[in-house]
Amino acid sequence: MSPFRCFVALNAVLLGLLSLPARADLKVVTTLPDLAAITKAVGGEHVQVTSLALPTQDPHFVDARPSLALDVNRADLLIAIGLELEVGWLPALQNGARNTRILTGSPGYLEAAQFVRTLEVPTTRVDRSQGDVHAGGNPHFLYDPRAALQVARGITDRLASLDQKNAEAYRANLEKFTAELEKARAGWEQRLAGLKGTPVVAYHRTTAYLANWLGFDTIAYLEPKPGIPPNPAHVAQVLTQARQRKARFILQEDYYPTTTSKLVASKIPAPLVLFTSGTDFRGGQTYLQHLEDLMTRLEKGMKGQGT
Amino acid sequence: MSPTSCRLAGLAVCLSFCLSPLTPASAQTPREDTDTPAQEPEPAPDPGLSAEDLKDIEEALGKDAAAAAEAGTAPATTPPASSNGVTLSPTNIDFHGLNLAFILDVAAAGFTSKEPLQTGGHDPTTNGFNLQQLELSINTAVDPYFRFDGNIVFSQFGVEIEEAYATTSNLPGNLQVRAGQFLTRFGRINPTHPHSWEFVDQPFAIGRVFGGEGNRGLGVEGSWLTPLPWYVEVLGSVTDASGESTARSFLGADLGGVTSPFDFQFTGLLKQFFPLSDDLSLLWGLSAADGPNPTGYRNRTDVFGTDVYLKYRPLKGNSFTTVALQAELLYRRRQVPQDVLSDLNGYAQLSWRFDQRWAVAGRYELGTPAYGQNGSVADDPLDPEWTGNRQRLSANVTFWPTEFSRLRLQGATDIASWRERPDYSVFLALEVVMGAHGAHSF
Repeated sequence: MSPFRCFVALNAVLLGLLSLPARADLKVVTTLPDLAAITKAVGGEHVQVTSLALPTQDPHFVDARPSLALDVNRADLLIAIGLELEVGWLPALQNGARNTRILTGSPGYLEAAQFVRTLEVPTTRVDRSQGDVHAGGNPHFLYDPRAALQVARGITDRLASLDQKNAEAYRANLEKFTAELEKARAGWEQRLAGLKGTPVVAYHRTTAYLANWLGFDTIAYLEPKPGIPPNPAHVAQVLTQARQRKARFILQEDYYPTTTSKLVASKIPAPLVLFTSGTDFRGGQTYLQHLEDLMTRLEKGMKGQGT
Repeated sequence: MSPTSCRLAGLAVCLSFCLSPLTPASAQTPREDTDTPAQEPEPAPDPGLSAEDLKDIEEALGKDAAAAAEAGTAPATTPPASSNGVTLSPTNIDFHGLNLAFILDVAAAGFTSKEPLQTGGHDPTTNGFNLQQLELSINTAVDPYFRFDGNIVFSQFGVEIEEAYATTSNLPGNLQVRAGQFLTRFGRINPTHPHSWEFVDQPFAIGRVFGGEGNRGLGVEGSWLTPLPWYVEVLGSVTDASGESTARSFLGADLGGVTSPFDFQFTGLLKQFFPLSDDLSLLWGLSAADGPNPTGYRNRTDVFGTDVYLKYRPLKGNSFTTVALQAELLYRRRQVPQDVLSDLNGYAQLSWRFDQRWAVAGRYELGTPAYGQNGSVADDPLDPEWTGNRQRLSANVTFWPTEFSRLRLQGATDIASWRERPDYSVFLALEVVMGAHGAHSF
């Protein structure tokens, strides 16, 4: 056999092998690692889960890298947050993936927002002069374990309908996850009871659900309008408000810049509490561990310790 | 609309653009002032804020509205930014999944040369104000089997269907077919629109080889995403080979009509993506196009291209840093009576986004004259003046108030060896995006 023929044959074999379905598992791709962690918790060994975004990434601005399109191409189920959080990048991946299973409206596409009672839904007409306002409501609901539980239920139902032979296992996993999360939630609520009514300054409008759950009061945002970086006049105002209301700490995700927040924190003075937005799913962290980390940081913030 | 009213409208836009504050800092000032009383019942200068505090804020964030905070309600010395004139309708336009967006590009330009060598159809070309384009982009799902994309461009003297095509969404085997009028996916920059460019103008390589509007045509395209473990896409298209500003190396303005299958342009592409790490991405493409040219019976043109895009964007930490290197090389061979002409055109550009709102970029371009088979410079029927190398260096700085608006200041020096001295140019361009902001491809 000539070397060329040998090469062609080798390639053909390689292609054949690679195009074989890897396993019978349900392949789930989620936009955010929190969704991945929740899906893994209820899916267990029957699902293979990948998250498109990393926990340290701003979920509004993810690059639609072709390697992500490849993940979406091979997915049986795509789970997104919705409420236009991923509007800047997910449609490019969905439309380019050549996978009809995960197109909007198909059984293989699930938006988590439908299971949650959304907050901050604009009651008046919004346009972009108000900044990056999400017209459907605030999409940052996974900081609230109660919302996460609703989402976990929704995901379980979808997994069960797509993979009926393992439906029992999914429901059992959900029960286990619910019990663990509810137990942890009671503990967190107890530890952070002191946060009720506490004035807090945040960077972006991401704290609505966390505040709604723990009862703290977000008195100001460092961004003058959602998505618009801080400017001196606004920061001066925030500082004034924070001093008047005696803000306990500044709370922000670690993907936002810290120059302004550090300055304001030192001026109030109050600690700056930085936290990682998502679960380090790839590193093996669970959703509970991620929330535990966030609660620890809030607890420290209450005691006057920043991060 | 008559040309006069078009001109008037263009003038109004340019004028308001000029009158509006050009620096971001001053643009924010009045807005803050007007907001202040509404948001807070008390005036901003609280006894709690010392002069030192304000000074620190100024140092950290710039000086823009320090005075505003100090004076509580600053006098409106500059016109309010909201009267900017170019903010059309900023609401989302989405009728049952039909995504509509308008993109306006205007620029003020200055050239040292009376006849600038700009080759792009959307480039600023004259001293003074230029309407680069008003683009209407539409996309929607047609039914469970097709998607539709359209790009309709309004220029000062007409309307043009830049792209209008249907894409299949339900083919098996990772296949996708497009049909209609589309920009061929040759290389990296050709299939894109000014909104996603990092420079005000198009690289001259595209304008010289394909035409001011880039290579596009009516036709059909098939593509296949291979099942390999990394991203490999293979694509081929058949398009019309005519069009003065879209297929100038091919039939160009010659309206010969199709008499055999060889009268079409054939384009092929192999695109590969390598995620080198979470932060580092490499996209590499190989392209080829072949089609008839009008210089004689069965004379053909071949264009071979390669493009690389290397992007570094750290996903950890609070940095907005993005560094991207993009380069493209086009090698063209044309059969002409008694000779085969070949030339090489290309560009390399490096951009660095160092802040949420700011980026700088530099670009180098090179175009050789056409060489004959004997290796000497030959007469080029398309660009007769192009008797030596042309090089162009461009640099720019970009400011994005939000992802829906962009100001870009660009300077360039164009060294065409057949001209006595280098040409210099400067552009100040504004882009605003209204309506549904489509997702960006990588």
